Amino acid sequence: MTTKESTPAVDAGMPSFSDVCEGWHRAAENLDRFNRMLTTDAKIAQTPKEVVWTLNKAKLYHYIPVVPEQDRKPVPLFMVFAIMNRPHVLDLRPGHSFVEYMLRHGYELYLMDWGEPGPEDKNMCFDDYTLEYLPRAIRKFKSISGAEEFSMLGWCLGALISTMYAALRPDDGLKNLMLLTAPLDFSDQEAGGFTRWSSNPAFNANTIVEKLGNVPGEMIDSGAKMLKPIENYFGSYSMLWDKIENPGTVEAWHAMNTWVRDIIPMAGAAYKQLINELYKENKLVKGTLQLRGETVDLKKLKANLFNVIAEADHITPPCQSESIMDLVGSEDKELFRVRGGHIGIMAGRGAEKNTWPHMESWLSARSGG
Amino acid sequence: MSQSNDKQTFDPFDPTGMLKQMRDSNMETWSKVMTEFVNTEAYAESTGAMLDAWLTTSGPFRKAMESSMGQAMAQMNMPTRDDITRLAERLTNIEMRLDDLDARLSEGAQSNNTQTTN
Repeated sequence: MTTKESTPAVDAGMPSFSDVCEGWHRAAENLDRFNRMLTTDAKIAQTPKEVVWTLNKAKLYHYIPVVPEQDRKPVPLFMVFAIMNRPHVLDLRPGHSFVEYMLRHGYELYLMDWGEPGPEDKNMCFDDYTLEYLPRAIRKFKSISGAEEFSMLGWCLGALISTMYAALRPDDGLKNLMLLTAPLDFSDQEAGGFTRWSSNPAFNANTIVEKLGNVPGEMIDSGAKMLKPIENYFGSYSMLWDKIENPGTVEAWHAMNTWVRDIIPMAGAAYKQLINELYKENKLVKGTLQLRGETVDLKKLKANLFNVIAEADHITPPCQSESIMDLVGSEDKELFRVRGGHIGIMAGRGAEKNTWPHMESWLSARSGG
Repeated sequence: MSQSNDKQTFDPFDPTGMLKQMRDSNMETWSKVMTEFVNTEAYAESTGAMLDAWLTTSGPFRKAMESSMGQAMAQMNMPTRDDITRLAERLTNIEMRLDDLDARLSEGAQSNNTQTTN
């Protein structure tokens, strides 16, 4: 409470005693709030859902629809997130959730949660994710929903898995494929820190996996943060301090930080495959990548394709996603560029205005019976 | 917490006020410099070498620890980490077979229902 009845000296710039007390009190409160933001978890992934299938650590969620049955789209949407993060970022917080948004627009939504690999999963590779887990989950939700056709949304490594699946199983009923920041083409060995680091001869993925089994989440997390060290290790926190009295910003930061802190390891064999066969040898684009003895031929990918690229993506630089447009066999394909970063385009403040409506309207036009 | 009009004056209530001013004037430059630095070959090489050195030096300790733990568990008639891992792998295989059986049963039930209705 600021006192307005101040002396001329105070008006000239000298704070009153009550101002000083109030200021220090506010600073203490802000410090306490700041500390809480760093050390506690926000409630994320709150949209009601049910587990409809499990296999090993993987779970398939079905979100409870919010619109009457007659208003729902007949083609369900199946979402596949990356294997080294939790998928909760798709349903970050009530009022700002892609899942909520799509449910409101009448989609039947399924989400694949790969779970946290244990030491027994160190031999899991993309062959398993793409040809064992994914087809089984798809079989399950198709039997539940009764739909013959479905749409698939893949994000980051989930987009890589979705692309490989779409190319290997083009007749499984996949009608629409939406890719978000998909790391597919590594021909430019100087694009992005990950490509540079992993292409250096001193970096040996085989040794990491041989010694550690699975790649620790902390290692992946610090690698990602080191791509933009100042922003991630300092900028993010100083931004929080700047906006500490703004409840909306603080709540958004807390939710995002909760997701970022929830790190999981990556299965060793998948990591080795990613670095050696994709980052280093670029086998997918060269057409030499084989999963379970089957060659992944991108020309066989026939589903309608919506490829979303984040223009300021430092994890998957745009050049790693763009070239797929000329390589796939899809006739209906669209490249959509959004201003923003790898996660920001879907979970940032502008997502609800700049990204989600475009994705929804593209999908809606192709989700009829 | 600092307001924009505080920029030119020292605010005794904002413990990070001075840091903030420094940050505002320098962060963009620092960010650019650091991002360029981590994208150099020298950084990639040194990180790779450091990681390799850490894995090589810590390897024997990890192995010794695993081996002694394994022996201790065996002495106590307890399963080792490797035993549990092997068991978990087998369980996953069984789960996959069950999943296939479940799918076949569902298909069978569905076709039976269709036949009955027809």
